[in-house]
Amino acid sequence: MSISRRRFLRWLGAAGIGSTIGKSAFAAGNKHFEGYPESYGILHDITQCVGCRSCEAACNKVNKLPVPDRPFRELSVLNEKRRTTATAYTVVNKYEVPGKKAPLFRKSQCNHCLEPACASACFVKAFKKTETGAVTYDPSVCVGCRYCMIACPFEIPAYLYDEPLAPRIMKCTMCYPRLMQGQLPACVEACPKEALTFGKREDLINIARERFRKYPGRYIDHIYGETEMGGTAWLYISSVPFSEIGMREDLGVTPAPELTAGALSAVPVVVGLWPVLLMGIYAISKRKEVIFQQELDALEEDARSRNREDI
Amino acid sequence: MNKGKHLLRRACILAVSIVFIYCSSLYGSGQVSAVSSGARADLITLDAMKMFGKLDKAPVEFLHDAHTEALAKNNRDCTACHLKENDRLFPKFKRTADTDRIEVMNVYHNGCISCHGEMRLAREKTGPVECDDCHREKPLNSSSRQPMGFDKSLHFRHAEAQNKKCERCHHEYDEKEKKLFYAKGKEESCRSCHKAETKDTLISMRLASHIDCLNCHLENRSKTTPNGPLDCSGCHDREAQQKIRKIATVPRMDRKQPDRVLLKSVQKGLEAGSENRNRMNVVPFDHQAHETYNDNCRVCHHERLKQCNDCHTLSGITEGKEVNLENAMHRVDTSTSCQGCHGLKQEDKNCAGCHALMGKARKKADDSCVKCHILSVIEKEEMLDPDGETSLATATLESRNRVNGTFSEADIPEKVIIKHLSREYAPVDFPHRRIVNTLVNNIKENKLAGYFHTQDGTVCKGCHHNSPASKKPPHCGNCHGKTYDEKNPLKPGIMGAYHQQCMGCHQEMGITKPAGCTECHAVKDKPIVSRGL
Repeated sequence: MSISRRRFLRWLGAAGIGSTIGKSAFAAGNKHFEGYPESYGILHDITQCVGCRSCEAACNKVNKLPVPDRPFRELSVLNEKRRTTATAYTVVNKYEVPGKKAPLFRKSQCNHCLEPACASACFVKAFKKTETGAVTYDPSVCVGCRYCMIACPFEIPAYLYDEPLAPRIMKCTMCYPRLMQGQLPACVEACPKEALTFGKREDLINIARERFRKYPGRYIDHIYGETEMGGTAWLYISSVPFSEIGMREDLGVTPAPELTAGALSAVPVVVGLWPVLLMGIYAISKRKEVIFQQELDALEEDARSRNREDI
Repeated sequence: MNKGKHLLRRACILAVSIVFIYCSSLYGSGQVSAVSSGARADLITLDAMKMFGKLDKAPVEFLHDAHTEALAKNNRDCTACHLKENDRLFPKFKRTADTDRIEVMNVYHNGCISCHGEMRLAREKTGPVECDDCHREKPLNSSSRQPMGFDKSLHFRHAEAQNKKCERCHHEYDEKEKKLFYAKGKEESCRSCHKAETKDTLISMRLASHIDCLNCHLENRSKTTPNGPLDCSGCHDREAQQKIRKIATVPRMDRKQPDRVLLKSVQKGLEAGSENRNRMNVVPFDHQAHETYNDNCRVCHHERLKQCNDCHTLSGITEGKEVNLENAMHRVDTSTSCQGCHGLKQEDKNCAGCHALMGKARKKADDSCVKCHILSVIEKEEMLDPDGETSLATATLESRNRVNGTFSEADIPEKVIIKHLSREYAPVDFPHRRIVNTLVNNIKENKLAGYFHTQDGTVCKGCHHNSPASKKPPHCGNCHGKTYDEKNPLKPGIMGAYHQQCMGCHQEMGITKPAGCTECHAVKDKPIVSRGL
């Protein structure tokens, strides 16, 4: 194989130009996305939640999840901190906050990010941000890599390990099937105190601000989920800093896909350039060997002919 | 042999150094445990050198009471550390003025180190002499020092003890004569002149109070009468402050303040100009009654005992921090305005059950303005003398109607059965009349509630809100639809409305019963029926 150095450099240049063109195409992924217009969300007013677990019960029923060992009326469950599991899409946790007369309760479930980290981590597109606002999951394409579980900043998706033949990711669907039938999410419908409000996400933000105005001093002036991780469909308002009720305040406002877009945009460059580069290096080193051999042969030939002359 | 000698020598050096390190650390920790007991009220951070520029070393933590006690054991008094100026002890350490950097530094270094050194020679427990043992980068103690101030009771006790000689504390400064004098009837609070920092001859509040209070306490120490504290914690420790004897009913302070007054938007004498006319109805104000509600004059008057509209003019001036009169009287997010303070009273648990859920809006209903702004301006066009004003204000205040009750028992339904919701749970027997009676009894003596609850039906509006007060107000279900209303997401559905109102009120009033779902409604053995959007 013989490639001239000039030809190799020409390839390299072409690949470089190609990569810059490629990059401009990928930059579209960095565009600021503010969620689907008119998409839905749920506002969780933590000051209103009384920890009755009605939402958990309704969620369990609607999603046909296994009946738990301890009934939903049993409130001693709240004494320990729980996480969402493959059999519980939503859990309510109790927080004793110093200086507060009564304990605070917070419901946790999938927050249905505007730009979901799980979806960006999934390489088979099993997750989809639908136009309703719900992030849905398609088990038929899932390969079970569980990257989504690692990607989720809220540690929500759980894995159904118990069913070896049909293992799958289990998480809140925002009652997508019910939304399609014009029904409220089960937890919202069940909440006796209306600590959960369902509506268009833009409206919910206005409602939250309206409550801040109407009840000065009751809330801290922040809507959790308005900007966290680029915004989530679930929004939270609280009377105490969110870190005191177990919510991460270090997430920043950048959506997860944007964090990885830069690194991922380098993939075509790496994939495209490395073979060319390595082949070029191989070719040059090969050429050197060929030239060396040729020179060696020439020297030998020269020596031999001189010998012949001597004889 | 030689090798063995070397080994022995090294072992000796090692042993000596270990012993040395051990001892020195013991010594250090011994000192720490001797003085450190967490948060202290007598902690003074010595950083006087800051006024001469950036500090070279960390500021020094100084425990004043620990020093006083240690000196007292050696029969030494305040003069061990404090100099006298005009026969009075000066609070600063061994000096009466901050002259220059080197001099002040030397005062501390010579004063502290020499005393510590002497005591060390006498084998007594004492403080450090090494630089970094005083100038510590990491503080050992934290300060629990509470600010000290006079409340009415303490002021009265001091006035009695001084035989009502106000001039013992109160004074004014004569700019021309450059000396203090007493102006009777014009006493101000200390803070009206003495600010946080010393400026020229006007010393800081901290310096002024320590010179005056402590020297007087010191003078009286030998007398048989009860005397004020001389140590830091006596005034600045939270527990000690709570132990200060309080007089239940403090006689009214006499500084020629009005009993009742008419609050107008424009000061007297400025009314003539066409721009500065009183347009808003005049407010009769019961100054005497408000004196009893508050701990001291500063609650309303800030630092100076002037009229509100001297500084809070209609458009706002620098003296009033640009807060105009309207804001000064009506701002809801402060405790110093009328409306703000009245709003705070609504946080009392007898009131909060209804008021906390109503929300605080700046804008009240129009008819609520005239509850304070009673007298129309036209009546007040002619100038009244102070006595005339007082009598007019008194007459108007007395003519106000107080409503502390509600409708007669027979008109109040005894029980309401809430049943139109029941799915999972059985209907609720709601003890309607008992609840009304409790609410009414709680505010029976409340003067503020009496004035602002203008009708028999006002108290009903705690639950039957957003409709005019009446004997037969609408039911909850008249406005709150069965389900959540997408068109009006600010209004809860009926289930949310009940739970928010009942539980919200119980929480605000500190009522712990009924607890849990079943104490209000029993479980019905029926599955949840799903309902549409």
